[in-house]
Parts: sequence; structure tokens; C-alpha cells
Amino acid sequence: MNASTTNFFEAIGAPVVDIARAWGSMFGCGLRTLRAIAMARIAWREVIHQSYLIGNRSVPFITVTLGFLGMISVYQVAMQIKQIIPDFTMLGPAFIQIMIREFAPTITGLMIATRVGSGIAAEIGSMTVTEQVDALRMCNADPIVYLIVPRAIACMVMVLMLSIYAVLVSTISGMLMANGAFDINMRTFLSLQLTNGDDIVIGAVKALAYGFSIPIIAGNAGLTTSGGSEGVGWATTRAVVSTSFAVVVLDFLISAAGYIFT
Amino acid sequence: MIEFIDIHKRFGSNVVLDGVSITVDTGQVLYIIGASGAGKSVLVKHLIGLLRPDSGRIILDGEDITWLDEEGFYPIRRKCAMVFQNSTLFDSMTLLENVMLPLRKHHKMGRKEAAKAARAKLELVNMDRDADQYPAAIGDGLRKRVAIARALTLDPQFVIFDEPTTGLDPMAAATVDDLIRSLRSDAGVTCVVVSHDLRSIFTVADRIAMIYKGKIRLDGTPEQFRNSDDGVIHQFVNGLPEGPMSV
Amino acid sequence: MNGALKSLASSVGGAVLAIAETIGGAVTLLFRILRALFPPRYDAEGVWRSFYNVGVKSYPIVVMTALFVGAIMVIQTAFYVKKTGATGIIGYGVGFSVFAEIGPILIGLMFSGRVGANNTAELGTMVVTEQVDALRALAIDPLPYLVVPRFLAMLGMLTLLMVLGDLFAIVGAALTAQLLVGFHWRVLVADLLQSRLLDEFTMGLVKAACFGISISCISCYFGLAVRGGATGVGRAVNNSVVSNATAIFVIDFVVGYLYSL
Ligand SMILES: Nc1ncnc2c1ncn2[C@@H]1O[C@H](COP(=O)(O)OP(=O)(O)OP(=O)(O)O)[C@@H](O)[C@H]1O
Ligand SMILES: [Mg+2]
Repeated sequence: MNASTTNFFEAIGAPVVDIARAWGSMFGCGLRTLRAIAMARIAWREVIHQSYLIGNRSVPFITVTLGFLGMISVYQVAMQIKQIIPDFTMLGPAFIQIMIREFAPTITGLMIATRVGSGIAAEIGSMTVTEQVDALRMCNADPIVYLIVPRAIACMVMVLMLSIYAVLVSTISGMLMANGAFDINMRTFLSLQLTNGDDIVIGAVKALAYGFSIPIIAGNAGLTTSGGSEGVGWATTRAVVSTSFAVVVLDFLISAAGYIFT
Repeated sequence: MIEFIDIHKRFGSNVVLDGVSITVDTGQVLYIIGASGAGKSVLVKHLIGLLRPDSGRIILDGEDITWLDEEGFYPIRRKCAMVFQNSTLFDSMTLLENVMLPLRKHHKMGRKEAAKAARAKLELVNMDRDADQYPAAIGDGLRKRVAIARALTLDPQFVIFDEPTTGLDPMAAATVDDLIRSLRSDAGVTCVVVSHDLRSIFTVADRIAMIYKGKIRLDGTPEQFRNSDDGVIHQFVNGLPEGPMSV
Repeated sequence: MNGALKSLASSVGGAVLAIAETIGGAVTLLFRILRALFPPRYDAEGVWRSFYNVGVKSYPIVVMTALFVGAIMVIQTAFYVKKTGATGIIGYGVGFSVFAEIGPILIGLMFSGRVGANNTAELGTMVVTEQVDALRALAIDPLPYLVVPRFLAMLGMLTLLMVLGDLFAIVGAALTAQLLVGFHWRVLVADLLQSRLLDEFTMGLVKAACFGISISCISCYFGLAVRGGATGVGRAVNNSVVSNATAIFVIDFVVGYLYSL
């Protein structure tokens, strides 16, 4: 095999190896966070502060993205229905059901992965390269307890809250679209006819799982930042991809489990 | 000929240049000295339009370049090269590719031809052996030498060196000093050199200008600097810890 | 009360200004890129290098995401089928949602996270380490040299990857249908192919092309506008991915709407 083919395979293979390596250190970080939570080593003031940063500050972002998603989903599905049988009675119930079970938590999770994941990695990453994290260790303060645990708790609660908010936003925007463009009665649209407890449980489990994994993965990327100040940019990038991908994988796993067990 | 006329420059409330005027004659080597943060780098960046003055004029060979637009500065930058204080090599390229880049862009050279010309420039600074390394893999001093080679590829008429010998060992520093001298004597290149390196200053400079508190404190020959009875200049030239400049 | 209102007004005002500035900056950059393309003045070798870099960086995440997207949409459709008994819609439901909507959005988001964020970090680092100034000092215009190749590579590569993604989504869907849902994969694929989804497929590609344009313009804009050292780069990456995600949903809506007219 000549040099250029080797290079080619290296280039193709390197990202795969990177991903595998990242997963290893991430699981370690997650376990240590769980242990710290179990031992009740929680700084509640920091949790409140982080909740504000993670939750409240994401509201406009979630409003815009989920609002547009609700409108376009309703629009496209309604266009399809119109061509086959112009009976829109099930559109609303089906939309609300799949929003609760799937898209509200997952898209919210992806948005938080993007906004908060990159933010956490940038923040903890710059603390790492400026040796503030080492300073924490020097005073016997575990960076996991001080930096990751509050963010993990805040993020879990906030992704759940934001997912509920996302259901509302997308349902309202979808309903307005249904009413404005297809003359669907708002009451017909707003029906929980197809939604049951299982859907709500699946949606909530997804939200909690995303909320826990995002700060773990992003925080881990921040703590493992190396290569001086330039490293911060790379850590931030890495965090965005790994957290988003984690959301997709968790979505699959929880959906599959939900399908099998309901 | 380079003329800076009454340049004022501030960043927010930080007044860096407060009326600086300097003239550099063609073929001369002017050293600009001053304490850290005095605004030496800021001043020289005005010459190639990387910074714009708040007021004042900059004249290069009789042409007023103060208010040229970005496009208008490209021809100026081809005849007036700059070696940055932090070398600023392109991370994603090898040393050779760094030096080849201007050749390929401006002389439309092919790869082979450009590589040959680039190696010749690297030889000038004794860096031809490491040509295939990446900038991150070599030390600061070596990077600075490559940056010098890169700046010289287009055979400029004017060269700005921002601290070319800082971080170099004495032998390498002497090589750079020789290079500046030969640029002046062999090619008639006009050089503006920012430096703290007292040995280089007094062995190479035709003229020295010192920036102090946003103004030119003294603009004269090395002799005048050595014999000056101004406390600020005396302190700087003799590298004294105590004096009017101490913070 | 008055103070709270004032601070609300000023924070809303500040947010509106920031959004306007981002849109303005990205659109201006787009126009400058287009001007550099007609007549073409850009770095041809750089374009190929960018294509290669962008492709190598993003193909693993796009392929894996696509596999999962197909899988997830099969499960979601299967939930619906379980409730209503309408097995006939599985192939169509999966194909429609993946090609038209969920595929482009998720692949677009992943691409933005991988390539867009990386691009902002790369250009931002070049700005704070003065490499961009060094280019200008060598009389090389950063726009055709740095920005245009990335623009072309992201536009072309995301469109190509969307085709690849659709393909892998079908693979993921077929596997999941067979192994998890108990629905024969041949039936699913046959249903899907017979569903006349050409419009949805092309719409997905148009969306991908538009995402490619917005991701490249937004990420280059934030990268080149970095101020303030390493923290500045981190902040720019954050702003870049958030703006890109927002743009993806807005564009998704606009293209989806225009396509149906
Ligand atoms: N782009 C900029 N934006 C804001 N302030 C700047 C900028 N560039 C320089 N400054 C400020 O201008 C002042 C002079 O900086 P300059 O780099 O010219 O110093 P210098 O004389 O070259 O010092 P040194 O010997 O350390 O290189 C400093 O206070 C610096 O903070
Ligand atoms: Mg300087």
C-alpha cells in the first residue's frame, strides 16, 4: 500500500477512533457525577444560577426553532392529507402525540446541546487552560462536584421544563398554521385523543436523559481541553458534535425501549 | 521614502499615538524603540493599512496612502512587507508552504518552481533543513526566521521588522542583523525595525526614533542617543531599572 | 417596576440589535462571496482542499446520524401503526418524514455542529493569532483565499451528504423494521420506493443546499469577527452554532413553504 492510500485510510479512520476515545472518558465522568449526586454533594445556589443560565436564557431560542418546526410540520403533513382524503380530524391529535413523545424533547435536547453544550465546554475549557481547574484541585475541591454536578442537575430540570414549553409553542404555532392555512377548527386540532400516559412518560424520560448527558459530555470536553488557548475552540466544537449525537442515540434507545415495553 | 505625519491613534480611551511624525529616507534603516506597550507595533501596522489612524497622514514614495481602501492597499503590501512580532506563520502549512504561498499567489508560479525559490529564501535564514516541519513543531526563534524568509519572497522595497531578534539566540540574532544590513547595502531596501535589542540597535541602525507616551521623544543617530542627556533616553539606552520611566 | 420594564426593554432591544447585526453580517458576507464567484476569483486548489476537509470531517457523523434518523422514524411510525392498525403507511411515513423534514434538519444540525463550529473556531483562531492580518500583509485577500473555498465546499458537500444520508436512513430504517418492529425490510423498502417521494427527496436536497449556504456564511462571519483572545473564540463558536440552528429552522420553514406553492 503506498503512502497516499495510507494517508487516505488514516484520514477516514481517524474520526472513528476519536469518537470511540471520547466515549470512554465521558462514561467515567458520568459515573463520578452520579456518585457525587448520590452522596448529596450539591451546591444548590450554583444549581439555581445554572438553571437560570441554561433554562431562562434558552427560551427565545426554543420559541423560534420549535415555533417554526410546528408550523412547517403541520403545513407539510396537511398538504399531503389534502391530496389523499381531505379529512383533517386526526392531524391535531397525531401532531400533539408525536410532539410529546418525540420531537419536543428531542429538538429541545438538540438545541440545548448546541447552545448550552458549547457554552459549558467553552467556559470549563478556558478554566482548564488558565489552570483555574487545577487551582480548584489544589484546594481539594473536586471539579466534578463544583462544576459538573450543578450543571447536570440544572440541565436535567431545565430540559424537562423547556420540553413542556416546546410542546406548547409547537402546538400553538401548528394550530395557528392549521387554522390559518387549512381552516381546521382549533378545538378539533387541540385534542389529546391519541396521547396517553405512555407517550408522556417516554417524552419525559427522553428529556431527563438528554438533560443529564449534555453537561456531562460538554463538561468532560471542557475538562480534557489541552493545547493552550487554541484548545478551547476545539473543545467547544467537540462538545457540540458529541452532545448532539448523544441526543440522537438516546432518542433511538429510549424510543426503541418505549416501543417494546408499551 | 516613508513619511508619518502627525499620527494620532487611540483604542477606546487608551491613547496610544498622540501625534507621531517620522520620516524614513530610501535605503535607510530606522530603528523604533520604546517601552512595552508604547505603541511601536501599532505605529508600523499603519504603514500597510492593518490599522487606520484617527488623524494624520502616511505618505509612501510621495503617494498619500492614508485613506486608501483595503483593495488599494494590496499593491502597497506587495512592495512593503512586514514581519509580525509573533511570526504568525500559517499553522495549517509546512514552513516551505508558508514561504511558497506569496510566490504562488502573486507570481503564479507552479509548485516545483515556487518550492525551489522558497528554499532559496529559507537558506538566507538557515532554515532550509526544517522546511517540511509544521510551525507548531519548531521553536519561537525558528518561526521568526521563517517569517522573515516569507516576508522577503516578493523582493519588497520596504520591509517592516517587528522585533525580529527577540527570542533568538545571539548567533541567530547576528544572522538577522547581517541580513538587514545586506538588504540595505545590496538591494537598497528601506527597513523599519522595531527592537529592544540594544546590540542590534547600535550596530545596525542608521537612525533611531524613540516613542514615549505617544510622542517621539528623540529621532536621531545612534551617536545622538548614546550622548543624550535626556533621562528617559539615558535610562532606556543603558537598560537601567531606575529612572524617569520606572513604573 | 419602571426599572424592571426598562431593563426588559433594553435587553429585548439588545437582542434585536444582535440578531440584526448577525443577519446583516452574514448576508453582506454572502454578497461579497457571490461577487468573488462571478467572475471567479478564488483559490482553486483551496477549493479542493476544503472539499476534502469538510467531507472527511463530516461524513462519519452524517452517516451515523442518518442511520439513527431512519431507525427512529420507523419506530415513531410503528407507534402510530400500533394504535391505528394502518400498516400501509409505514414505508410512506418513514420516507416522507426522513426525506422532507427530519433528515435535512438533523443532518443540517450535525453538519453545523461539526463543520460550522469547527470553521468558526479555525477562522477565529487565525484572527486572534493575527494569521488573517498576516495574509493581508502578504497582499492576499482573505475572502477568496479563506472564505470562498469554504463556502463552495460546504454548499457542495452538504448537498452530496444529504443524498448519502437519505440512503443510510433507508438502511437504518430497514434494519430497525426487520429487527425491532417485526416488519419485513423488503416490504418497507419496496413501499418506500413506490411512494413517489421524488418531490420530497429534491426538497431535502434544496434544503441541504440552503443550509450549506447559511452555515458557511454564518460560521465564517462569526469566525472573522472574533475579538478578545481564546475566550473570544469560545464565545464565537457558541454564537455561531446557535445562529446556525436558528437559521436551519427558519430556512426549513421557508423552503418547505415555497416548495409547495
Ligand atoms: N487592536 C487593538 N485593539 C485595542 N488595543 C490595542 C490594539 N492593538 C494594540 N492595542 C493597545 O495599544 C497599546 C500599544 O500596543 P503595541 O502592541 O503597539 O505595543 P508595543 O510598543 O508593540 O509593545 P511590545 O514591545 O510589548 O510589543 C497597548 O496598550 C495595546 O493594548
Ligand atoms: Mg509590539
